[in-house]
Amino acid sequence: MTPLERRCQLLLRAYPAWYRRERAGEMLGTLLEASAPGRRWPSLRDARSLVIGGLRVRGALVWCLSMLWVAVGAAGAGYVFILSAHVPDAVYIGIALPSWVGESDATYVAGQLGAMAWLLLTIPVLVAGLVRLRQTPWIFWWALAWVAGLALAFPVADWQPSAPAVWACSGNQGCALAGYRYAVVSWGELAVFAGWLALGAAMVVILARPVRHRNLSDATSRARGEASP
Amino acid sequence: MREPTYFVLASLLDGPLHGYAIIQRTTELSGGRVRLATGTLYTALDRLTAEGNVELVREEIVNGRARRSYGLTSSGADALRTEAARMAEAARLVTDRARRVKAGGTARKASPA
Repeated sequence: MTPLERRCQLLLRAYPAWYRRERAGEMLGTLLEASAPGRRWPSLRDARSLVIGGLRVRGALVWCLSMLWVAVGAAGAGYVFILSAHVPDAVYIGIALPSWVGESDATYVAGQLGAMAWLLLTIPVLVAGLVRLRQTPWIFWWALAWVAGLALAFPVADWQPSAPAVWACSGNQGCALAGYRYAVVSWGELAVFAGWLALGAAMVVILARPVRHRNLSDATSRARGEASP
Repeated sequence: MREPTYFVLASLLDGPLHGYAIIQRTTELSGGRVRLATGTLYTALDRLTAEGNVELVREEIVNGRARRSYGLTSSGADALRTEAARMAEAARLVTDRARRVKAGGTARKASPA
């Protein structure tokens, strides 16, 4: 095997395994033919086109969206756990997200942005997955995983009220219906966190399924059948 | 239809070709304007095959590797002809006008406005 061949093969790993089984030999042949004699490296244009092509076949968009969704969901569960673990600090509950006494503004803002990002990603994740997995039985599992994600989004933390809610105003958060409640360390949130990780793994497995290249595989077997009389 | 797609289909007009031959032929037909990179070619072939415009017609083994030849389907040929007619129509808008100006430019200038 020449160095060029080895490097081309490395580049072809941009494509998923199921696609390579079907196409890698053919593409390697084309790559080698397209490279000028004596070259040791594939051209930059070819390299770039293979990386982009591989990402496209792998469905880079749905990967990014869904993994971000899972990561934010897991981070959210972790956040609520930490929130609940600040016992016996008073926790501010209102229209705004809860926060603990002495929580830094940066953490609070990050929590809010995270919640917003998760909400905004929810529908795109579902749609991108459905589009990618259309015509495959895996579309059902994707929908199921998505519903599981929705279910995991509800905090299970147990807040103990200590006083009736009142309208309270603060400088940076405006006015909100507020009540001081004592949190009970919510180990359930850790289970939810683990649930998010499991969901992420399940989504990885689902997305690694081959997308249907109906005509490619069918035509391959047909061409093979015709070749042998 | 984008230009590379048009030239890939056009390269198959004279019969089925394999990957590298399609790259060469598109470069030739487009006067060097369309130079397909390998990844781009196969992305296009995947799409065109899925759309039914191109089909796999032959598979042989060369140097221990699969070499597949692709051909134009009848719907691919139709799509190509439709696109060619559309572009010819669009080109006529400009070329006819240029010819008219060249032929009748002086006459028009002389005619009363």
